[in-house]
Amino acid sequence: MNKYFLAFTAIAGLSLTSCSSDDDSLELSPCDNCFVEFEVPDSYVFTRNGVSTVSFDGQTTRIKMGQELLSNFNIPTNTLDDLNGMFAHVEGDIDFEEAALNESDKSLRSKVAASADYFSTNATDQAIIRGDLDGFISAQITDVYPNWDVAATAGTAGQLADGESTRYVNANGLEYNQMFAKSLIGSLMTDQILNNYLSTAVLDEVDNVANNDADVVEEGKDYTTMEHKWDEAYGYAYGLNADQANPNADLGADSFLNEYIERANGDSDFEGIADDIFDAYKLGRAAIVAKDYDIRDLQAEIIKANISKVIAIRAVYYLQNGKTKLEGESPNIGGAFHAMSEAYGFIYSLQFTRKPNSADPYFTKEEVDAFLIDLLDDGDNGLWNVESTTLDSISEDIAARFDFTVAQAAE
Amino acid sequence: MNRIIGFFLVLTLVWACSSDSGSDDTVIVDPVDKVSFERSTMLINWADNIIIPSYEAFSTDLDLLIDSFDTFKEDSNEDNLIKFRSSWMNAYISWQRVAMFEIGPAETVGFQLNMNIYPTNTDNIDGFITTGTYDLSLSSNRSSKGFPALDYLLNGLGEDDASILAFYSAGDKDALFMYTEDVLLDMKSLTDTVLSDWTEGYRDTFVANDGASSTASVDRMVNDYIFYYEKYLRAGKMGIPLGVFSGAPLPENVEAYYKGTISADLFLEGLNAVQDFFNGKHFNSETEGESLASYLDALNTVKDGEDLSALINAQFNTARDLIQDLSSFREEIENNNTPTAMFLAYDEVQKAVPMLKVDMVSAMSISIDFVDADGD
Repeated sequence: MNKYFLAFTAIAGLSLTSCSSDDDSLELSPCDNCFVEFEVPDSYVFTRNGVSTVSFDGQTTRIKMGQELLSNFNIPTNTLDDLNGMFAHVEGDIDFEEAALNESDKSLRSKVAASADYFSTNATDQAIIRGDLDGFISAQITDVYPNWDVAATAGTAGQLADGESTRYVNANGLEYNQMFAKSLIGSLMTDQILNNYLSTAVLDEVDNVANNDADVVEEGKDYTTMEHKWDEAYGYAYGLNADQANPNADLGADSFLNEYIERANGDSDFEGIADDIFDAYKLGRAAIVAKDYDIRDLQAEIIKANISKVIAIRAVYYLQNGKTKLEGESPNIGGAFHAMSEAYGFIYSLQFTRKPNSADPYFTKEEVDAFLIDLLDDGDNGLWNVESTTLDSISEDIAARFDFTVAQAAE
Repeated sequence: MNRIIGFFLVLTLVWACSSDSGSDDTVIVDPVDKVSFERSTMLINWADNIIIPSYEAFSTDLDLLIDSFDTFKEDSNEDNLIKFRSSWMNAYISWQRVAMFEIGPAETVGFQLNMNIYPTNTDNIDGFITTGTYDLSLSSNRSSKGFPALDYLLNGLGEDDASILAFYSAGDKDALFMYTEDVLLDMKSLTDTVLSDWTEGYRDTFVANDGASSTASVDRMVNDYIFYYEKYLRAGKMGIPLGVFSGAPLPENVEAYYKGTISADLFLEGLNAVQDFFNGKHFNSETEGESLASYLDALNTVKDGEDLSALINAQFNTARDLIQDLSSFREEIENNNTPTAMFLAYDEVQKAVPMLKVDMVSAMSISIDFVDADGD
């Protein structure tokens, strides 16, 4: 049973390769996976002496903090301290509804732009990125809350109808809650997974390999450090799923990466990407147990390619969705701005993606910054003036570095 | 394993090829070009004999509602309250004849959502009356105005007419009158805009856009029509209060909840409007013009050996029969642990959805442009 499964996984891995081989994609030789002869469970369940070795509460905690922050973003009675407390929580402070979060020593902000590979020697960009997210919060308080009961117009913050919903935008038509949430998907979840926990700099740090080889567990724990690092990468993707061993059963359990893996997978052009990601996590973890680090690293590359692709798909999707909503006899401006605010965050997140077998993101920070300037500079009032040619050209530029077309992502 | 995949590949290719070559012998008629049905005639029938007369009648009923409010305001006695309420019911019935036309001017102003979001937000309304500070044009206030707000103001302030009248006689009654009047004027202003846009320009735009594409009038109207049927008639008036989507009944989500007794009547008028539109029946007349039904007949659309247009009409009739036997929806939901009779009626309403949304549109080569979830 297990061998068949592995053969299948190998094929899945290869088909991924062949699809994306135009660019900087995985270079798998056909037999990289052929001799895998270790146990791979059907679900993400790993034990040592009958006890589970899987643990990622820290990731679950941070995602929950993100959920609470997000649900408070559009409550105009909140103060800057309220929202900042949720973003940069300090142990013991009463920032959240959920008591366990208040007791936690974890904080969202301290893990934003904090990966080993991208930011250990780049405190400058780290500070700028954290400043961007701080800015989304503070501008929501200072610019949008005061205009809560004002109709938004070009140059004036306020509210816009979007079907049955009401959207609250800044003077440029941007929704800060969307910008914040979607930027966090890149700067926290994606960055931590792709550029930190799946990085050999972290997995193989100091004597992790020797300890894993000898089954030396962390003091008072049932896992080796390497196992734990891999699980932490897993937790940022699946931390809120009901059955954390089978997360694809209720994909969409959070408002962050998990949700958008589901959305991408829901487009028939990308159906199966959720399984590709989960299977790679599972096989990679089994490889750590089996001390087969080549197979582990191969799975890490598959995860990097696919999570990066999810971000790019959603960026293009929302740009095109916004374009469509602006067209026609009765344009849905509120709906268009909502979509483009999501696009803003996903574009922002592109700088945290990771080309497989490379040290680089699909788009550099400079390129991302240029896209965002381009999105807002068709006139004096940001999205109020955006032209469909701009939305198309950014979409094309993004899709061109991946193995999908704008039309495929737009559905 | 690989052999199986290969086999499927071959099959797929063969299937793909044969389907292409098949189209040579089976003449696939482009319905728009080859069938003797003029979309423009149908558009003219819709605009001149159904849509505009329905808006005109609604506008008249709304004026009568405002008149009876003025009378009640001048002399706030029980008799005038009852008349005011009765004009409200008339206009609410009349509204059911225009609610489905969310295209052009109505779509631009968001007519449906500005006139009839329920349940209404009574906390907001109470607050607005107390503070006197509100902007009814804001999208966040759409659930505090329109017919459902009037339902609350006319029927929900107290248990009976005497206690409701007490609110309109109290020391702070002016604020209550002011708010009620502002709600009415907002409805009037939206309605005037929609009607005058139709008569002063949009009618010609609508009729002239008689092609067959996703932006053509027929395609868009059919989408709006089906969207109305599925979302507002089926789900809004029945499914949501029944708890079809939430698992538990939500009686407070019934249309005209405070009045309590007219929800089925409102539904039936909506269903009649939908069926009359399907058959191209002129407003307030037995005359029928070109319609979705006659279009289907011209295309000779048959399903399981029967004319699709007849099947759809039969389905509407079946649903109507079951609903006519119900009490008001609020009573059905509140008085039955499981409102089985209403569920059965709902199922019949639902059965028309695939007929319209799959069979009818595919015969007409119209693609559906909406999805159920909005994808936040």
